[in-house]
Amino acid sequence: MPAKELNKICMECKDAEFELTVRKRQLCRRFIAHKVQSRLSVYRAFGLDGPKHQLLLPVSLGVSSSVLMHILNSDRQNRLSNGRPLGYDFKILVIEPSTIAATGVPFDKNFEALQKNLPMHDITRIPFHSIFDYVPEVKEILQEYAGSKFIDDSAQSNEQRLAAFRASIATPTSRTDVDSVLLTRLVVEFAKKSGCESVMWGDSDSRLAAKALAGVAKGRGASLTWQVSDGMSPWGVRFEYPLRDLFKAELLQYESVCAELSDIVIPDQPPSENVLTKNLSIDELMLRYVQNQGAKYPGVMANVARTANKLNPSTSGSAPTCALCASLLGNVKGNSGVTVANQAEDNHSSQFCYGCMRSRPEELC
Amino acid sequence: MAPTACFNCKEARAVIIRPKNRHKLCRACFINIFETEVHETIIGTNLFFPGERVAIGASGGKDSTVLAAVLKTLNERYNYGLDLCLLSIDEGIRGYRDDSLETVKRNAVQYEMPLDILGYSELYGWTMDQVVEQVGKKGNCTYCGVFRRQALDRGAARLGIKHVVTGHNADDVAETVMMNLLRGDLPRLSRGTSIVTSSDASDIKRSKPLKYAYEKEIVLYAHHRQLDYFTTECIYSPEAFRGSARTLIKDLEKIRPSSILDIVKSGEDMAALVPVEVRGAGKSKQLAEEESAGGCGSQNGRTSGGEMAAMEAQLAENEEAESLETEIKLHNGSRVKANRGPTGKAVKAQTIKHCERCNYISSQRICKACTLLDGLNRNRPKTAIEVGVGMEDEESSSTLMRQMERAQLSAT
Amino acid sequence: MTDTPNAGQGEFPIPITVEFTGGLELLFENERKHKVVLPARLEDGSRPNISYLLKYLVDNLMKDQRIDMFIMEDNVRPGILVLINDADWELEGEEAYELQQGDNIVFVSTLHGG
Repeated sequence: MPAKELNKICMECKDAEFELTVRKRQLCRRFIAHKVQSRLSVYRAFGLDGPKHQLLLPVSLGVSSSVLMHILNSDRQNRLSNGRPLGYDFKILVIEPSTIAATGVPFDKNFEALQKNLPMHDITRIPFHSIFDYVPEVKEILQEYAGSKFIDDSAQSNEQRLAAFRASIATPTSRTDVDSVLLTRLVVEFAKKSGCESVMWGDSDSRLAAKALAGVAKGRGASLTWQVSDGMSPWGVRFEYPLRDLFKAELLQYESVCAELSDIVIPDQPPSENVLTKNLSIDELMLRYVQNQGAKYPGVMANVARTANKLNPSTSGSAPTCALCASLLGNVKGNSGVTVANQAEDNHSSQFCYGCMRSRPEELC
Repeated sequence: MAPTACFNCKEARAVIIRPKNRHKLCRACFINIFETEVHETIIGTNLFFPGERVAIGASGGKDSTVLAAVLKTLNERYNYGLDLCLLSIDEGIRGYRDDSLETVKRNAVQYEMPLDILGYSELYGWTMDQVVEQVGKKGNCTYCGVFRRQALDRGAARLGIKHVVTGHNADDVAETVMMNLLRGDLPRLSRGTSIVTSSDASDIKRSKPLKYAYEKEIVLYAHHRQLDYFTTECIYSPEAFRGSARTLIKDLEKIRPSSILDIVKSGEDMAALVPVEVRGAGKSKQLAEEESAGGCGSQNGRTSGGEMAAMEAQLAENEEAESLETEIKLHNGSRVKANRGPTGKAVKAQTIKHCERCNYISSQRICKACTLLDGLNRNRPKTAIEVGVGMEDEESSSTLMRQMERAQLSAT
Repeated sequence: MTDTPNAGQGEFPIPITVEFTGGLELLFENERKHKVVLPARLEDGSRPNISYLLKYLVDNLMKDQRIDMFIMEDNVRPGILVLINDADWELEGEEAYELQQGDNIVFVSTLHGG
């Protein structure tokens, strides 16, 4: 084979033409798909001699979760057309982006493209404020959490009530933090109600690194074992992060060679240049940190999520948990440290964990 | 703006907003509450026993000066019955350490504590000035940091004292947590937040009574009590904080002032979640040698800014091997992964040994200090094997340290 | 300077004291205390505040080139404390605080070792 042609071949399968450059290696898209699929082999194995393992795939219509969806769907189609057992099946949940972000990106066309692309699939779209329907107890919890200054007006629509609650939180850090807690609860409840045993999150390696660092900075270190690691969540639904070995840049490359994704994916908003550091949320600061440092030190950033994934889940089985986010109240067993959020005051009677206490509307930080 | 009244006494003018709870306090209440919280930390962790002889590692800088002042105050106020003294290390840097040692000498008089000064020249036969003359300014911080870590233990041993307290504050601990997470260093993640660290080798207990104190409050405490402390940059390591993880910590503090203690809390929880088999030595003991590794002695547990480059280089070396490892796991490890528990995760254990030369605790056969001394004494500086990692990275002291370690490995 | 018809007390120049400690003095020729006189009003008619003072210090007092050791994003670099007459500047409105005659402004670095 002439040298010129050889150069175009995927270094992994030595068969297809290369399309992507992953960590200086030239590969075809099947390689990335393979990285994800091998993580799914667990479920395949389970489902072969019993009922199919049901997975829930929350799709934000961003790059990462869309790529994950594409990979799962390709796997499914390949297996079905070859008559091989699939072992698992997945449902797709879209929480309407316009009900999450204030900027309200129009996404109807993207959603239609998604439905058109996966016609055989169970795809549901729900607004963020449907949390009041899916998790009915949330309204008491939010009232308790937000404190006496916040009055929940049940005469208002769910949308208005959620907006009022979110508006009562003073800082971008706390808002982002509480939003992600609520989104997680909504996804979990949806998963339970639709019979899914696991949630497949579409976080890339870079995203997980930023999540881990931000979680630590917000006093949520103990929750990394399910917020960043693969493992059982406190609600009895497993959390999996099949894209944990892939950088955001690699997912972008994958997306660029999949024409069918171009109508589905809502491109990332470029980070705005003129926001002062002090006005960023901690999540945003860490995302920028991981992006900036990751350009220079990709290995270090990749290491963060890997390290978090090695932590043991907390074993305090019957210990009381946070009413809002289900994290442990107090310290992990074996931690004799004395850092306490909101010292004195209502700490001992609190039904909220350290991290949630820090994001409370009445906290003036 | 109208003056705000103190949250505590409701009378005097508030001059401080506390990072951890945003309480506005007057000068007197702040000083009192700051001291009381350090007292609570000491009592809550059973840090001292009556009659204990305790050496305060004193550099003349803000942290150790505040530590000495607070411990003297608390010792008298609560009758700890401690026998306190100051222990200073003289690295032998003319025009830098001379001045800070003058501060320590004044502190000794002000706090009525005996002072012992132990020099690198006595301990190692080399002053830092001589080291720099030999190896140049690049990478000299590594020597200083490694020498310093042992020096406090050795100094205490010489005085017959078994407990050394250092001025590490909450910002230092928070930075350590972040660095260990970035570094992927689980053994250190399991130990870095504990208030007491002891080493089997020297039988000397190390502790950090200010581990819950914000650096900001330490500086304000020193300011409002008008403590006599010394600040300058080491002449061999100017701007050591530039671009380091410290910047990230300070940005976080700006966004959410409590976040420094929040990181400490996370770090303490995560320490308890590190699998037992990787904690090292079974108990939660820390190698005094590795505390604030790669940092400059005078920087008190801070990173130097070149750490990231060194870490990246180290990880890149492992990259090939690790991707192979992942592949193997993917192909035949699916069942194991299904029941992934504590044992299913790939973890690396660390063993603790003693240096064959000086018997100091070490993870290697020969401890870092002895290895560095070998190089110096052989008049063959290791800087010669510096590899190109880009202009900026060449400044990194830890790059040198890594190379030292590599050289050491290949020699064994 | 603009014409100021009402020569009230506020229209006299504003003398203040500025102090640099905690290692910051190294950026200001190793001098801790500096006497500074600010104009009563700026060109746009507003009164000088801390933001203005920062710019003034960099333009007039700071000989050192390492401006980013003091200023970041047009404000004091995180890790540097500002005291306005001994009170944390957060109690006084931070960079929007308008300077008064005789004010004592202290900048303390927490970034330096010691």
